[in-house]
Amino acid sequence: MKKIMIVEDDKTIAEELLFLLNNSDYEGIILKDFENSKKEILAANPDLILLDINIPYLNGELLLKEIRKESNIPVIMVTSKESEADEVISYSYGADDYITKPYNPTILLLKINALLKRCENNKSMITYKDIVFDIGKGIVKRNDKEIILTKNEIIIFNLLLSNKDRIVTKDELMTDLWNNDEYINENALTVNISRLRSKLSDLGYEDIIETRKGIGYRIV
Amino acid sequence: MKYRDYLKDNLVGIIIYLSTIILIVLILNAFKMPIFVSIICFCIFIICGISIITISYIKKNSFYKNYLSNLEKLSKKYLILETIPEPNTYEEKILVNSLYDINKSMIENINEYQRSTIEFKEFVELWIHEVKIPISSMVLKCHNNKEKYDKAFLSLIRRLDNQIDEVLYYVRSENTEKDFSITEVSLKEVIRNVGLKNKDDLLENNIDFITDLKNIKICTDKKWLEFIINQIINNSIKYKKDKESSIKIRTTEYDEKTVLEIYDNGIGIPSKDIKRVFDKSFTGTNGREKVKSTGMGLYIVKKLCDKLGHSIFIESKEKEYTKVLLEFGKNEYYKIVR
Repeated sequence: MKKIMIVEDDKTIAEELLFLLNNSDYEGIILKDFENSKKEILAANPDLILLDINIPYLNGELLLKEIRKESNIPVIMVTSKESEADEVISYSYGADDYITKPYNPTILLLKINALLKRCENNKSMITYKDIVFDIGKGIVKRNDKEIILTKNEIIIFNLLLSNKDRIVTKDELMTDLWNNDEYINENALTVNISRLRSKLSDLGYEDIIETRKGIGYRIV
Repeated sequence: MKYRDYLKDNLVGIIIYLSTIILIVLILNAFKMPIFVSIICFCIFIICGISIITISYIKKNSFYKNYLSNLEKLSKKYLILETIPEPNTYEEKILVNSLYDINKSMIENINEYQRSTIEFKEFVELWIHEVKIPISSMVLKCHNNKEKYDKAFLSLIRRLDNQIDEVLYYVRSENTEKDFSITEVSLKEVIRNVGLKNKDDLLENNIDFITDLKNIKICTDKKWLEFIINQIINNSIKYKKDKESSIKIRTTEYDEKTVLEIYDNGIGIPSKDIKRVFDKSFTGTNGREKVKSTGMGLYIVKKLCDKLGHSIFIESKEKEYTKVLLEFGKNEYYKIVR
């Protein structure tokens, strides 16, 4: 399980974030000692840090600068300040991503997911049972049979496969699609999923995508 | 300064002077002086009087003429002091000194006023920053307890957040200082962020969100532009038609500018209202009848566009469509500097 450090001085937000992360198959840890923040973070050795800019003692931007001296842990900056300048500073200090409060939790999870994946040396091939999914080319292979997926199908299949242990909600799928400039509605999502299903059944996997009514989908 | 007016100002002196001359001539006559002596005296006095008054007129006129013409040329009149040469006469000194004092007290006044606006602006920014924290908590709580809070709740929070942003950008747009930073921004990314922000409202209202965007980068402040487009999209959602609503966004590139077109097939704007949509506090027929509106949204949008140097136009036909055009100039200078 990936460890994610939450650096946030507002207790409610920190606890809700912890709950959100734990529910999404991550192990969240909340930073407690802001005075020795750098030490505690490095000791915990997380896979990713959610770093608020406005925190006591060392502010987020300076803390990031300090962390970067010793580690390349992926960092997502979080702030409620609506200003371009903060964003520019954060990136120049080595932040990997930036999100403004109040953020959409689904988008935050997508950003975490994407960032962690990017750090795992860009795995562009996912294997599932004896299916090989080449994300870059958008091709699904089984033995000698190849099937080409459309852009929407690639996004959907990719999200389902990278979360195969849990149900992926409709909202998550829609958000991921919208995040990739595919502004479709829920009917189109259903159509895309049934197309994906029929393509996969051509490969011999009949009921690989299970529908959980009212919640979402899951790979079985 | 006109000579005639100057004479009028010195009328009393002239009258006294003339009467003195007449008196002297009369006295000379009384002492039986030859008539030509009186005439010579009279002429000398008159010539003297005219030259005294003319010389002093010329001197004053050169100062005031310069002063008045400079005043007329200046767009910022309060800078007049800088253009006045060293005063020579007592009168000029009085004028210059009093101008200096007036200017100084005015500057102090303005500084005080400016300080209080800046303090107010800082307070508002800080307050907004603080208020976003509980809002984030609410969003997270809603997301984590979906059984307890439904989507309508989230939609309310979004409305609250939008209203707060309106205050933030109002304060920013009213302020004279430039607190935006221009960078190269991808239009696709801006539309993506705005789309994601309004995703739930668009889906719930069955509005098709159709985009045709090329990979175009423009020079602007990303946050400000996101606010501007978010306001426009919010209006499109607010004033949608009941059936088959859609929002179409596309970009067109010209030699000297890039145009972003946001088109919706909503209820449109009555032609009598369209000229005033950018006016402060103007709500119009739609704003009064359909959804409550503050009339501030488009006013702020226009102000921000002016500051960023973008142009904005609205076209509409009642019951058919509304089209908003945003024009971004291509700044070659900026590219060279980079």
